[in-house]
Amino acid sequence: MSNIWEGPLEKIDDYRWRIPKSYKQGMRVDGIIYADEKLLKDIRHDRAAEQVANVAFLPGIVQASMGMPDIHWGFGFPIGGVAATDIENGGVISPGGVGYDINCGVRLMKTNLEFRDIQDKLDDLVCALFNDVPAGVGTKGDIRVSAREEKDILMKGAGWAVAKGYGAAEDLEYTEEHGAIPGADPDAVSDRAYERGKAQSGTLGSGNHFLEIQVIDQLYSRDACDTFGLFEGQVVLMIHSGSRGFGYQVCDDYIKTMMHSLRKYDIHIPDRQLVCAPVNSPEGKRYLGAMRCAANYAWANRQCLMYLARGAFARVLGKSWEELGMYLIYDVAHNIAKIETHTVDGQQKKLCVHRKGATRAFGPGHPAVPERYKNIGQPVIIPGDMGRNSYLLVGTQQAMDETFGSTCHGAGRLKSRSEAARTVKYDTLLKELSSKGIIVKASGRGTIVEEAPQAYKDVNDVVDVVHNAGISKRVCRMRPVGVIKG
Amino acid sequence: MPDKPYEFLEHTADICVRIYGKDLPEIFINAARAMFEVLAEKREGIRLPQTSIDVTLTGGAREELLINWLNELLYLYSTKEIVFSDYQIRRLTGEELEAAVAGESTASYIIKTEIKAATYHELTIEQSPGGLQAQVIFDV
Repeated sequence: MSNIWEGPLEKIDDYRWRIPKSYKQGMRVDGIIYADEKLLKDIRHDRAAEQVANVAFLPGIVQASMGMPDIHWGFGFPIGGVAATDIENGGVISPGGVGYDINCGVRLMKTNLEFRDIQDKLDDLVCALFNDVPAGVGTKGDIRVSAREEKDILMKGAGWAVAKGYGAAEDLEYTEEHGAIPGADPDAVSDRAYERGKAQSGTLGSGNHFLEIQVIDQLYSRDACDTFGLFEGQVVLMIHSGSRGFGYQVCDDYIKTMMHSLRKYDIHIPDRQLVCAPVNSPEGKRYLGAMRCAANYAWANRQCLMYLARGAFARVLGKSWEELGMYLIYDVAHNIAKIETHTVDGQQKKLCVHRKGATRAFGPGHPAVPERYKNIGQPVIIPGDMGRNSYLLVGTQQAMDETFGSTCHGAGRLKSRSEAARTVKYDTLLKELSSKGIIVKASGRGTIVEEAPQAYKDVNDVVDVVHNAGISKRVCRMRPVGVIKG
Repeated sequence: MPDKPYEFLEHTADICVRIYGKDLPEIFINAARAMFEVLAEKREGIRLPQTSIDVTLTGGAREELLINWLNELLYLYSTKEIVFSDYQIRRLTGEELEAAVAGESTASYIIKTEIKAATYHELTIEQSPGGLQAQVIFDV
């Protein structure tokens, strides 16, 4: 069977394409994919667009089933998928619309350092980070928690970490949801999820999780950069990680549970992986409660990782993290479901917004945006792939109007993992990265080659689309200089 | 007819395996072997005592049971820190499974990749000339 998708994509404008709901019997709304002609060619090479059409079957879905420009084939929902359901009208919640890695997300910290200040210490910094921040598959964190504290972490998220001394209260203000979604329900989490999460707090995980030292190499918006305190040549730190085994187990548990919900609530979906239950059902409520636990766990994890990274820098540079200006710019989730109020057809509605491989991008003035950023909009952090640029963007009113305040999350995969492992040679890759001045430390050869830049779509193209479509605006661009990978 | 127990296929972001076997128990065992091949590589010259664990599972249909089996092994691997290599399936119907699984501690292995879960995506178990054939996609 060919993997090329031959379905209809009607051009709305240069950056928006419609899959009409007439395409498949059962679609309740249209599909809309944000892309340009160039990216569309790649998008047709896997069946992500079919998944956008499948998501349109979900009961209660409103407006459209959306795909961001970094879209690729996932399970059930495509990665890069956004869909909102109307809670008061039988709207459902679907674990596949969140993903296994609940609250996989990214945070960006600034420093008051210029690259030339640290250039001759870069190797030491990368080694210190590699040493102090546990990375790699199955590694255990040094930050240990008791069984009693476990529930605390799940309720308080990053707040738990700050209370333990792993950061400052101010860090919470610059984290989505202040680092914890209210309404987490530790009793909705299985013993298995607790067990699977136990040893992993404060660890980095593997695959496309990473810690990166970056340098800002291009500014796009003077106002936004001034608001965030950013300048060209500035050293920043990016941390990308999620909820680890804890999140995977929660997802797995509820996919199993909701298999039974389909018949119970008479829900018909074209793909088993789109299992779901009404948000207002006992199953829906329990999943939401458990998902929030996993999300909060991930925020606690990223807070701990930041604490360890601050410590590593302080150790090497001989100054405290405050003296180094290592303050958090923002932290965003990109695999999550949120209950939010949005305007649909002129009416305010309470929606369950799924962002799977997609980032919240609230516009200026939104109450959830930190006070200091209110006139600029919510920061959106887009990690590129290894050896390529990352971006900082901001959310816009247009995103609020069109995509429930959502945008892309990063570059999507182009080459399959096995193909990447075959075509990209490890030594060649390291030489290539090294010639760009990038130091890489990873715990396994496999992960470096699988995560090689050639394996991903070009993040510059992806960001171009969201910027030109108006659903987020570029603030600055960063290039990596040091990479620590699991 | 392929005489290999499994092979890896192309997939954009995850790992897709096609599994072969003469009957259902062999499919289940070969699927587990494929999964642990992705996960870990045995270290040379180390042999540690094996730990054996009994597994009892149910599922609505054999496909669901296969996924439950693989995710159960994944769960045991991450919590007990064992890489499984020996499987004895005592009972396997369309809806129930009883097995004994054994393996050495993860210390005997180099861990290569983290697998989040075996997924239902494009999951199939069907007849084939050699018996049965299955396809599973792992989220990594």
